[in-house]
Order: sequence, then C-alpha cells, then structure tokens
Amino acid sequence: MIPASDFLIFAAILFAIGTLGAILRRNALIVLMSVELMLNAANLTLVAFGRVHQDVKSHAFAFIVMAVAAAEAAVGLAIVVGVFRSKRSVNIDELTALKH
Amino acid sequence: MVTGAFYSLAPAMAEFATNKVDKGFSTERVFFWAFALLVLAGATMTVTRRNNISAVMSLVGTFFGLAAMYAMLQAHFLAALQVLVYAGAIMVLFTFVVMVLNRDEAEPWAFHGVFSKLAIGVPALGYLVVKIAGYVGEAAEGDAGSASRADFGTVAAVGKILFTDYLFAFEAVSILLLIAVIAAVVVARSHKPDEAEGLTLPTEPSGHSEHH
Repeated sequence: MIPASDFLIFAAILFAIGTLGAILRRNALIVLMSVELMLNAANLTLVAFGRVHQDVKSHAFAFIVMAVAAAEAAVGLAIVVGVFRSKRSVNIDELTALKH
Repeated sequence: MVTGAFYSLAPAMAEFATNKVDKGFSTERVFFWAFALLVLAGATMTVTRRNNISAVMSLVGTFFGLAAMYAMLQAHFLAALQVLVYAGAIMVLFTFVVMVLNRDEAEPWAFHGVFSKLAIGVPALGYLVVKIAGYVGEAAEGDAGSASRADFGTVAAVGKILFTDYLFAFEAVSILLLIAVIAAVVVARSHKPDEAEGLTLPTEPSGHSEHH
C-alpha cells in the first residue's frame, strides 16, 4: 500500500523540474516540453487525489487537461515554426521586438 | 537528493509512525520506485539535453513511466490516453517540428558556467519542492494503495461522468480543439503566394515554377 503523499511529493518534484526547464533554457521547443512536464505533474496530482477519494471526477478533469495541453502544444509549435520562418532561430532571447 | 527529500519530510514520517501504511519493500513500492526513477531520469534529461531529439525521446520515456503510474493508481482510461495522446500524438508533433527546424543549439543555457547554473538551479528546485510539499502534508491523509471497487477508473466510469455531469466541458473542449487546429494551420502556413500554393519549395528565391 502506497501512501498518497508519495505520489504527491513525486508530482511536486516533477513540477519543479519542469519549472526549472522553462526558466533556464533558451530553446523554445525545450520550454514547450517543460510546460508539458508541468501539466503532467498536475495530472498526476489530480489522479492521486481521485484515488484517495474514490472519485472519477478528477479523471474527467485530467482528461480535459490533456486535451487542452494538446491544443496548446499544437498552437505553440505553430508559433515557433512561424517565428523560425522569419528569424531563422528558436532562441527566445532573440525575440525582443516588443521591448521598448 | 530525491531520496532525502522524500524521507525527510514530516508528513511521510507521520504516516509511517501511525502504522497505517506499508513500511517495507512491498511489490507495489518496488514498482513505484522503478517507474519514479524512469520518470525523473526522463524529465531531467529532457530539460538538460542540448540535442532536441534526445530531449523529445526522453520525454516520451517520461510519459510511458507516467502512464504506468496512472495504472498503479487504477486510472486505466487515463493511462491508455496518456500513451495515445501524449506519447503518441503530441511527441510526434514535436518530432516533426524538430525535423523542420533542424538545428542544434549553440548556447542552450540562459546562464553561463556550471557553477552559476547549480547556484541558481539547486536552491530554486529545493525551494519549489519544499513549498509544494508543505501543501501536500496538509492535504494528503488518504491511502492511495488500498482496494477500490472494480469499475473505478474504467472507460465506462469516466465516460459516464464526462457525458452527464461534465458534458458542457466536453463539448467546449471539442470546440477548443477545432479552434486550435485552425489556428495552427493559419499561423504556421507560408504567406508567400507561390509557397502557399505548393508551386515552389521555400528555399527558392524566385517564383518561377511552371517551367521545368
């Protein structure tokens, strides 16, 4: 029998790794992948609590989160491709056009 | 460091002390640690690789490990969806985009030098873990390994609740996906007329294409 806190602490560590990847990396693709990691950590938390309370509501919530993450990944990657077309680079430090 | 974080936090020790949960090496625990190791190794490799394809493939491994953890939590529908949607569709999309962009990073990190990365990364990671796990300690009173009813987490159970209580959310997400598809096509397509009609390849400077 595994306590729920094991899964929750593990999801917290996964979320922290995703956050570090989104902050410390300059490649737009790696940042998008770190965001996917964070979303998965949240999903794991949802499913762990659903198990504790024996409720499939959290599974439905996690399903919606998965669909939204897919949509966000598709649009984010389309933006990366569009930016690459003009700037020939995926380095997010070079996207300074809106800086005053 | 991960093991230290696990076993030095008070809530976990309190649960051990009250003798409600298993203390030793049960089979479930061994599986949990094995998949946890896979997921953490995959996640760490994802955020540290310079090569984009290595990062994508380690994220695929991470998602497989996460699907196994969902199965351990009796979320069978979500485990199957995790493999199909995340590892099977989203990562394939990432792979195609990496193929289109086709370059390794020259300077991947925002901070230069190993020492500055560690000096910022380790305290940030520690702070995040401690903060999040502090909330975990208050909320996690339940046992995630005891027996549940037979139809928990099956396709039928989740489908029933999706189509009755959360029908609006379900339909709204379908519209959201439609919007995302249209947006992705519009944003990513070429805006030069010859490229858009497929007459020339994007690398050709001029527009003459019909005469070959």
